[in-house]
Parts: sequence; structure tokens; C-alpha cells
Amino acid sequence: MLIMKNISKVFHTAEIQTHALRDFSLTVKEGDFVSVTGPSGSGKTTFLNIAGLLETYTSGEFTLDGEDIGKLNDNGRSRMRNHKIGFIFQSFNLIPDLNLFDNVDVPLRYRGFSAKERKRRIEENLERVGLASRMKHLPSQLSGGQQQRVAIARALATDPRFLLADEPTGNLDSEMAQGVMSLLEDINKQGTTIVMVTHDAQLAQRSPRTIQVMDGRVSELDLHLASANQQAIA
Amino acid sequence: MLEAGLIIRALMRNKIGALLIALQIALTMTIIVNAIFMIQDRQAQMLRSSGVDEANTFYLTNTIFGQDYNIQAALQTDLNTLRKTPGIVDAIQINAIPLSGGGWSSGVQTEAGEDKDSIGTAVYMVDDHAINTLGLELIAGENFSATDIQWRQSGQSTWPDKVIITKALALSLFPEDWQSALGKTVFISQNQTIQIIGILKQLQAPWNGWDGVERSMLVPFQMESKGSRLFIRTEPGKRDQLMPQIEKMLAESDKGRIIRRMRTMEETRERSYQRHNATNKILTTVVITLTIITGFGIVGLAIFSINRRTKQIGTRRALGATRWQIMRYFMVENLLISSVGIFVGIIGAVSLNMWLVKTFELAPINLELILFGVLTLFIVGQLAVLYPARKASLISPATATRTV
Repeated sequence: MLIMKNISKVFHTAEIQTHALRDFSLTVKEGDFVSVTGPSGSGKTTFLNIAGLLETYTSGEFTLDGEDIGKLNDNGRSRMRNHKIGFIFQSFNLIPDLNLFDNVDVPLRYRGFSAKERKRRIEENLERVGLASRMKHLPSQLSGGQQQRVAIARALATDPRFLLADEPTGNLDSEMAQGVMSLLEDINKQGTTIVMVTHDAQLAQRSPRTIQVMDGRVSELDLHLASANQQAIA
Repeated sequence: MLEAGLIIRALMRNKIGALLIALQIALTMTIIVNAIFMIQDRQAQMLRSSGVDEANTFYLTNTIFGQDYNIQAALQTDLNTLRKTPGIVDAIQINAIPLSGGGWSSGVQTEAGEDKDSIGTAVYMVDDHAINTLGLELIAGENFSATDIQWRQSGQSTWPDKVIITKALALSLFPEDWQSALGKTVFISQNQTIQIIGILKQLQAPWNGWDGVERSMLVPFQMESKGSRLFIRTEPGKRDQLMPQIEKMLAESDKGRIIRRMRTMEETRERSYQRHNATNKILTTVVITLTIITGFGIVGLAIFSINRRTKQIGTRRALGATRWQIMRYFMVENLLISSVGIFVGIIGAVSLNMWLVKTFELAPINLELILFGVLTLFIVGQLAVLYPARKASLISPATATRTV
């Protein structure tokens, strides 16, 4: 599904070069649910941006769903994001001036679906996250957890093969966070590959696979094992 | 299609900025359409022919100060000399100059009596050389003969028997058939009879702003006056060369008078329309300035709106919008705001024009001008939004994941 080989990302400023990622290699298989953890500044957002085709990389090889990303131009990357990737952001990134129906409609319009097809998908996905009855509400009329559910409905509406979540529970209280996490687990069970960047070790534990990013490099962690060891010592 | 519905719904939640720009567009539309209309109206006035051969004519003032001066003999001598001068086509004495701003007028009526309506007309007192000297076109009837010409004393209130009038005056007197004016007897000074012996294609009055500017009349009078004007027509291309020669010749031939205020008809036209030209320049400046200000207003609003929505634009890019789709969003948004402004502007432009028509007796505005205004403001709007829209399209999709 996602194959990154020796990906580097260097930011140039007037005087210094910053290596955000160095020889970053990762393979995510179809149907995986991978949590990406790491301290602030470790490079996890850079990884997420590159994986989501939001930013280009300096060197290395990156293949997503069989497509060599290095060969795509800006329009090609836009099309790929729209067709194959769903995004869930920490601050939900809903458009405040549009109601829930119109918010979920945004990526569907870029896809060029007919009005009838868009309506069907919007209703189906808002139903899926339990907000079908509030379609005409504005995001500001919802709680944080509900807003993130709308963002998930928007991400799922285009039927993406790959869901990228950036701290999806970062702005939610623990009860809402657990609800959103359960929703993501359900989505994963239905076959969607998920990569989730998170600070929250407990949430990361709930995903079958966790990787840690440190100084722009990747290291695989078995949080389940680490947790079991901690319990044994105690 | 083109997200118009989504854009309208988003605009409805942020009305103030958009409404202010729409209002600015409406005001601009109202003002520029009427200003251009006024410019066109003035230009059309300036383009009207006076009927005179302006390129080859000039005139001068002859002021007599000598004692025991024989005015009649001196005038005949001057005219004979001028008419024989090589390069001069013809010359006359005339009481007023077309477009000069100063002249004589009188009322002509088809029925005698104080209580009958009369039609105002400019009066040119000339001899039988006037048609040739002014370069006029006689389209019906005949010219005066030498025997028709009478001497007019200053203060004389009687009129000669015959006149030649312009087609416009004939049409005002006989609206159903201007040609029927020929040979008719009409009345001047309420009850003096005059016969129309000829009709001219055109000869403008001295006053360019008068709504009867095309109504003029030639009267076969020569004036026995100490101050008179001589009007001279030269062969094509010889006017400028002959003017100083003639001034010198006339001044030297008779020491009992002075020759001054020599001026070409072209200069007279330019002076006559000086205010029109100045007003048109001011109006053109207003039109251009207002259009530029509106353009900058649109740029300002678009930049403000884009800066406010940077993260939203990044999110749209992340969700799959291409650069062109982002540009298109702002261009369609501008098109919608402009449409509201232009629609209100059309109502404003027509209302202002109706007021101008009523107050200043201008002609009503034409549809082409409104279409021109509509098209101009749509184009200005799209051009103005192009730079901010391009700037928006360059916002990185990675902006969506930035927390600050």
C-alpha cells in the first residue's frame, strides 16, 4: 500500500539546512492500522505531510497504491489525494461557513460526482458517524467530538484506500477521544488502511502496529510488549 | 457546477465585506456609465459640422476711428480688394461668427401676431457672397442677388424682404415638409413679412450649447457700423500664409481704422468647445480613477479573505482541490459579488440617467453603454481578483496540518 525507501526531507533557510527526515523507510500493508508516535519536532508531521502528498520530499522513493509519487506533478498529487487519501486533522479543519452537508460535499465536488451521487454519499457517511439528523447544522453548533466525526465522514465520503489521521483526538476529552478511536477501529475493520500520528501512548497501544519517529528516523515499537513488561515489573 | 451554491452559502455568512464591495461596484457602475454617456454626448456635439468650410476660413475685426469716414465706400473697397487677392476665394462682412459665442438672434413665426409662437433663430447679416465665403451648401431655392442687399443703419428695426434659412429652421417652421418652406412668407418681429428664397443644408448658430444651434438665417444686410467683422475664405492650404499678409495689407491700405482679433474658424471651434474638452478630461479621469479604486477594493477584499482563510484553502487543497480549482473558487466568488453590484449598478445608472434627463434635458442612456459598463466591471473584477486568486492557489496543502 505505502512504501517509503530512504526518504529525506531537507528544509533550507538562508543559513541553515534542517533535516526533518533522514533515510526514512516504512512499509504499510493494505488493511494496516499504524500509529506513529514521537516527541515534538521528531519529524512525524513531516512524515504525515509526505505520506499524504501534502508536501514533496527531497530524495528517496515513495510508492502509494502502486503509484510512483515522485513522478506526479501538482495536479496528479491533487487527484491522488482526492481519489485515494482521506484526511483527519487535529483541529478538524471543517469550513466554518458551511453546514455539515456542504462540508462533506467539498471533496466530492472536486471528484466531479453528480449531485445525486454526492447526496447519497453525504447522507450515508453522516449516518455512519451518527450525525445524519444534524446535516443542516454549522460546525460551531457541534461539540469537538461531533466535529471530528463530521471530519471523518468527509474523509470517508470519497471511499479512500488510505486514511491519514493527524492527532485525531488531540483536541478532544478522553471520552470523546475513545469514541473517535472506536470509530477509526471500525473503519479499519472494514478494510481501510489507517496511519495515525499521535502523542497519546494509550491510543497508540490500541492500534495493532506502532512506529516511533526520532530525529527524522523510524524505529518499530512493540508497545503491547512494552506495556506487558511494565506490568510484570510492577 | 463551479461551486456557486457553496460559495453563495459561505458568502451569506460573511456578508459585510462582500456587500461593501458590491456597493462599490454598483456606485462605480452608476457613475461610470453616466460619465461615459456625458463624454459621448459632448463628443457628439463637438463632432457636429458647423456647415462652414472651417479649414480654409478666418475672420478679423475692422474698427474705424477716423473722422468723416465713408463707411460704405471703405467696406466696398475692402471687399473688392480682398476678392481680387490671389489665393482668396471670397470675402464678406458679417455681423456674427458661427460657434464664437456671441451673435444675434430673432424669432420667426408662420403666423403674424404677438400671441403666436415664434421659433428662435440665429441671424447672420451678409451679402450675396456669403454662401461662397462660408462654404455653405444651398439645397433648395436661390442665393441673394446683388440688388437684394440693403444697408442697415444701427438701431434699424425693419428687415429686408428675403431670407435664406437652414433646413433645421425650415423643419421647425414646417415640421411636416421642410421643402414646403421655400417661397413661403413668414413673419419676423411678430408681424414683418419675409420670404424664404433659399434653404441651406447646414449653418450653426454662434452658441454651441443652444438646443436650436442648427437654426440659422441669412439676411441680406450690410452694416454701416464703425465696428465690423470681415470673413475670408482662402483656397485650400493657403490660409495660414495669407492671414498675416491680409492683416498687413488691410492695415496699411487705410489708416483710419485698425485691424485686430484675427482668428481662424478652427481656433474658434477649439475655443468654443474648450469647456467641453476640459469637462471630458475631468470625467475621463473620474471614470479611470473610480475603476482603479474599485479594482483595488476587490484586490484588498480578496487578499483579506484569503489571508483569513489560509488554513481553509490548505484544507481544500488537502482534500483534492487543484490549484486551478482554488483560483476558480475566488474568481467565481468575485463573479457573484460583481453580479450583485452590477445589477444594483444598472438600476442606479438608469435612475441617475432619468434624473439627468429630467434636470438637464440630456438624451436617455442607450443599452450599448449599459452593456459596456457591465462587461467592463466584470472584466475589471476578474482581472483584479486574478493576482489574489493566484496567490491563494499557491498556498501549500501542508498548511492544513499546521497547528499555528
